[in-house]
Amino acid sequence: MRSVSRAVGLLVLAVAVLAFPSLAPDPFILSVGVVIMSYAVLATSWNFVGGFTGYISLGHASYSGLGAYATALLVIHTSLNPWVAMLLGGLVVAALAVPIGIASLRVRGASFVIVSIAMVLILLLVFQSWGEFTGGSNGLRVPRPFDESVLRPEQHERFFYLHAALLAVALLAWWAIDRSRFGTGLKAIREDEDKAQSLGVPTFNYKLTAFVISAFFTALGGGLYALWFGFLDPIFQFSILVGSYMVLMSLLGGIRSLFGPLLGAVIVGYAVEFFKNQYGDTQFHLVAMGLLLGLVVLFMPDGIIPALSSLLNRFRPQAASIREVSAGDLAEQRRTASAATSTDDESTDRLSEGAQR
Amino acid sequence: MKVTTHHRLGALALASCLTLSGCMSSGSGSEGEAGDGPITIGISLPLTGDFSEPGKGVQRGYEAWADYVNDNGGLLGRDVELTILDDQSNADRVASDYEKLINQDGVDLVFGPFSTRLVVPAAQVAKDYGFLFVEPAGAAEEVFTQGFDNLFYAAPAVADDHYNYLADAIEALPEAERPKTAAYAAMDDPFAMGTAYGLKTRLEAMGVETVVDEVYPPNTTDFGSIAAKIADSRADVVVGGTQYQDAVNMIVSLRQLGYQPKMAAFSTAPTNPEFPEAIGDETEGILSPTGYTPEADYPTNPEFVEYYTEAHGTAPGEDEANAWTTGQVVAAAVEAVGCADPDPECQGQLIDWLRENEVDTVVGPLSWDAEGRPEGAHLIQQYVDGEIRIVLPEEAKEADLILEKPTW
Amino acid sequence: MSLFFQSLVLGVLLGGLYALLAAGLTLYFGVMRVVMIAHSAFLILAAYLAWFFTTETGLDPLLSLVVTVPLFFVTGVLMQRLLISRLRPATLTMMSVLLTFSVALVIEGMLGFVFSGTQRRIRLPYSGDSIDLFGANIAVVKLIAFALAAVSLGALFLILKKTQFGQALRATIQHPDAARLIGINTDRIAGYGFGLGLSTAAIGGTALALDSTIYPSLHWHWIGPLMAIIVVGGLGSIPGAAIAAMLLGLGQSLLQIPLGTTWAQTLFYVALFATLMVRPQGFFGGRLAQRF
Repeated sequence: MRSVSRAVGLLVLAVAVLAFPSLAPDPFILSVGVVIMSYAVLATSWNFVGGFTGYISLGHASYSGLGAYATALLVIHTSLNPWVAMLLGGLVVAALAVPIGIASLRVRGASFVIVSIAMVLILLLVFQSWGEFTGGSNGLRVPRPFDESVLRPEQHERFFYLHAALLAVALLAWWAIDRSRFGTGLKAIREDEDKAQSLGVPTFNYKLTAFVISAFFTALGGGLYALWFGFLDPIFQFSILVGSYMVLMSLLGGIRSLFGPLLGAVIVGYAVEFFKNQYGDTQFHLVAMGLLLGLVVLFMPDGIIPALSSLLNRFRPQAASIREVSAGDLAEQRRTASAATSTDDESTDRLSEGAQR
Repeated sequence: MKVTTHHRLGALALASCLTLSGCMSSGSGSEGEAGDGPITIGISLPLTGDFSEPGKGVQRGYEAWADYVNDNGGLLGRDVELTILDDQSNADRVASDYEKLINQDGVDLVFGPFSTRLVVPAAQVAKDYGFLFVEPAGAAEEVFTQGFDNLFYAAPAVADDHYNYLADAIEALPEAERPKTAAYAAMDDPFAMGTAYGLKTRLEAMGVETVVDEVYPPNTTDFGSIAAKIADSRADVVVGGTQYQDAVNMIVSLRQLGYQPKMAAFSTAPTNPEFPEAIGDETEGILSPTGYTPEADYPTNPEFVEYYTEAHGTAPGEDEANAWTTGQVVAAAVEAVGCADPDPECQGQLIDWLRENEVDTVVGPLSWDAEGRPEGAHLIQQYVDGEIRIVLPEEAKEADLILEKPTW
Repeated sequence: MSLFFQSLVLGVLLGGLYALLAAGLTLYFGVMRVVMIAHSAFLILAAYLAWFFTTETGLDPLLSLVVTVPLFFVTGVLMQRLLISRLRPATLTMMSVLLTFSVALVIEGMLGFVFSGTQRRIRLPYSGDSIDLFGANIAVVKLIAFALAAVSLGALFLILKKTQFGQALRATIQHPDAARLIGINTDRIAGYGFGLGLSTAAIGGTALALDSTIYPSLHWHWIGPLMAIIVVGGLGSIPGAAIAAMLLGLGQSLLQIPLGTTWAQTLFYVALFATLMVRPQGFFGGRLAQRF
């Protein structure tokens, strides 16, 4: 029963994605679809580290930007096949992510965020200044993977499917990790890093591996986008806003759910178009994004999917066995319960101490 | 719990697919009716974000041009109607805007956006759909080397040639009177660097030694160290590849260090009406290239200045003039070819016509080389007695060039 | 030689401003374990308020401090009580980053909304004036900014060292549980600590507005170096932040001579990575920083 429903759900999702290009009334809508798919790829890739380990990176634009430039430079200088170049670019970025990960994951939390933001800023400086290699502020034209006879709307369609394929691979990888021992270890880190460590989880190696996988997929997403968009400019590639969009999407959809980032990408991607249509000539889009992020953090830190599920579950017979509740849910329940019952500050604070140490 | 999630997600994805396509395609309708209705022109401009200030100037110019055309019988007897979108100073958005204008709003023509950094992605979209792309602000050399056969820059000269008259004037001096050393500081921006390095190339060819060559990121606000380097070099000439506020900051910093060059040239900023307000009385002798002056007596210019001044209360600046010029250039092609619709054949004819012909505009007669570079030069202005005046070339000058800059 | 000396002087002046701002940023971390991304957005907000004050009234921008400092203090207290304290303690550090990030976006968006994206600069009659010191020129505005920073930093130091509130605050930073046991209301103290941190942004912003152009997205330019400084100095350590700020400000200024503006800016990030590789708890920080 359950697997049938799941299969049906997935099928509907797949049909919706596959049918979108033929449903789109004009190439502009199709191009918006490509952008949303690209968001979905990036957000899902971000979620390898954000969702599994709970380490929030505000600077994943570093890896999408690096992936984009690596792909473009490989295509331009080595005349490699663009798709091979993209894959190679992803591997190069994954290799670069190892030392970055080592530096930023040795210490907990705060330093990780600071490094993630610093990476974006430093790469922006480097790619702007190193003009001979990166094109600098003049930007970099990326040659098209398809020849001139493939018209622009056709390009959009092909890239839509390519992004969808990459997304499927990323989702599959996330799903596989989610079910593996490795994934369990990562989630243990998310819930309580100290306990995980004392239970024998090699926390540092696990975190680093998740981080590198995340960087790899993010770089592929960046590379694919570069091949589609055809023009790279450091100030738009290495932008903190791009990275924060990934966070917002994942968080909004739900970082613990497989499809959370995808859902978040669809909502945010649509909202961006909507806000631009409604409040086009003002800076309101920044305010709107800020408010949305703030609201999600304050009131819905687990995202829409869990929030909706729990709402829905209230109205249906409780069929779920204990196994349906993850360790994370249980931990959270305990936490809220204890926070609710204990009115004095001390016990809450001890919890916070424990979690941070 | 998981069961419902999957179901709902599928449904949600499908639903959002449909609403996405449905809601966002609501604005179309003017598509395909060539002939009667107004000629629609699509434009994307940075109305918010980092490039918004000049973006708004360009918008004023475009709107003034459209009003003027409509007051005077329209184009091919049809009214013109502008659709202006805000690209938020973002390259992804500018491409998506032109995609929308061409595909969804079904515009008949497109005009270019502002800033070199946004012109290339926009031109790519226009090229892919076969549209003529005349742009008011993409002066850097890189714009013209990308293989865009549909692109024309509606201004007298590309960035590298902005200082040509000044370089000629220096070259004409007797060897002994020429400056010996020069310091360059340019913003890391294709346009700003283009202007400064264009002059650098010319001066170096004359044997003027480069003693400082600094490039700073666009977000720089502290010019203390750059100014210290320039002041320390005691260069005879200081050249700033600047946009606006960076020039103000640099000049203030140079003054704080007591540096007195014999010649000081800055791009863009000094032609801005707020510049003397920001610098105070110390503007005397500062040089700047400009593509436009309201005083010019090119055939259509007095009309433009009069019309614009009446509507806005101030004379038009360079951004407004470039936008107006873009309108004039496209209009000339449209009138000559006799068509204005998105059909590739019509657009192709417009492009071909502009390749072959010269257009009279408010910035003078314009013609283009095969890559779309205009083949003119910029005027050189200088603050003389507190007013910015044209000093070069000889035949257009309003005041004499001051060779020895007074102290600031 | 004179260029070197000139750059040295400029570096000290710059370092002073960095020190004040970094002190505020590290203070939040100390009292609340919060990485306050919006710190530099408030800095730009204060600069805008100073600019607005001067263009409206024609008075000296320094007078705007009378309004902005108390205003920012109250805002800081409210922000801590109403926003930060609502977050789940378990995920406080991560979620506070996102929350303050969203505050920064709202501030940037509203500044663009109200004042437009136009770059602004306060016009001062003395903006080009300078005084001569052993052959180096020191701009009067930079000197005022430095003096402002130095006085505020001194005041902050005195508050922390000499007052009862300061003792309570330091106790809260070092050991919240113990602080509570001896009867300190750590929640209230944390709120005041936040207000104090935000007040440094008010002063820093006014100092910045004296000699610089401001525009809404400028805060991204500041947050990177400031965050690097507090990591190098040791998260939560105020003297560490001040020392690191001075050294890095000086380093940036001197490196500009051989490397140019852009590459000199990378110093902050190189220092950040070096610190995390060699001594993750920071060079001047105490045991607090080790845990984060």
